[in-house]
Amino acid sequence: MISIRDNIKGGALTETTFLILLAAYRPNHGYGIMQFIEKETKGRVLLGAGTLYGAINTLLNKKWIAPIEGMNDGNKKEYLITELGKQTVEGELERMRELLNLALNISGGENND
Amino acid sequence: MTKTVFRYFFDFVEGQEKWLNQMAEKGYRLKACGQVWYTFESCQPNEYEYAVEFAADKSYKRSKDYKDFLESMEYRTFYKGINLNFSYGKVKWRPWAKGMGQIAVSPGGFNKELLIAEKQKNGEPFELHTDLKDMLSGYYTLRKVYLWSTAQALALAVMIFLLDFHSWLAAFPIVLAFLWSGPIIRYSKTIGKLKHQGEIYE
Repeated sequence: MISIRDNIKGGALTETTFLILLAAYRPNHGYGIMQFIEKETKGRVLLGAGTLYGAINTLLNKKWIAPIEGMNDGNKKEYLITELGKQTVEGELERMRELLNLALNISGGENND
Repeated sequence: MTKTVFRYFFDFVEGQEKWLNQMAEKGYRLKACGQVWYTFESCQPNEYEYAVEFAADKSYKRSKDYKDFLESMEYRTFYKGINLNFSYGKVKWRPWAKGMGQIAVSPGGFNKELLIAEKQKNGEPFELHTDLKDMLSGYYTLRKVYLWSTAQALALAVMIFLLDFHSWLAAFPIVLAFLWSGPIIRYSKTIGKLKHQGEIYE
């Protein structure tokens, strides 16, 4: 499946974007997304709230995530990944697999010498 | 027990943030703030920490949405002004802002250029922005604010000379321009460093 890319540089997503998309596979609010990322990266990625806010709005504009109507926990708006968002993740996964295989071949080869 | 302090910051992001954190280390928690005053209440030393963010490049609606978002992250937030605008009556023009944020209309975005966020200290550094591009964008905006203010001050000084009106008065805007140049140089250095980092890292 070909992903729709409007990025001229070869389509790599930033780590922040990719992680937020993954966090949104289940309905999640900003606070939940931040906690998900911290937990799943074992504290390696600690997103700032300001960065998260900007990223969520960018993803909403690109329609890679969408707000969930009527499921708001107080003032916490919730979001869910869209089909387009999932396609983007799959495309990114393809790109990462390609890179991973290349890196394993090259660095793995040197270890065997 | 509350305590009120009067203070104005030329270095309104980093300088103010550093001071608020120093107060928090001593056991003072921000309760409210106005143009040049701050009211603190007693708390445990090192219980809270603060981050100051420049939010006025966004429209008031967007900045209010951002404030609500920060509150949903369980931070306490305060608006604070910076007193660096051209104003005419109830409308302020902010040349350094983006799009609709350029016009601030009372009460809307008036005197709400800064957002102060407070969180409980939990060992993790309090950074509202952690992404390189995000940080760069923020520093560019801040530098623009100071550049405009400095240009405004220098223009005023030139006008005073040209009008040949008590030329010694020009010393005031010149001193202001000098004070504002500190942050400009600092932000330029930070921007350079981040851009360099961005060539390798995300």
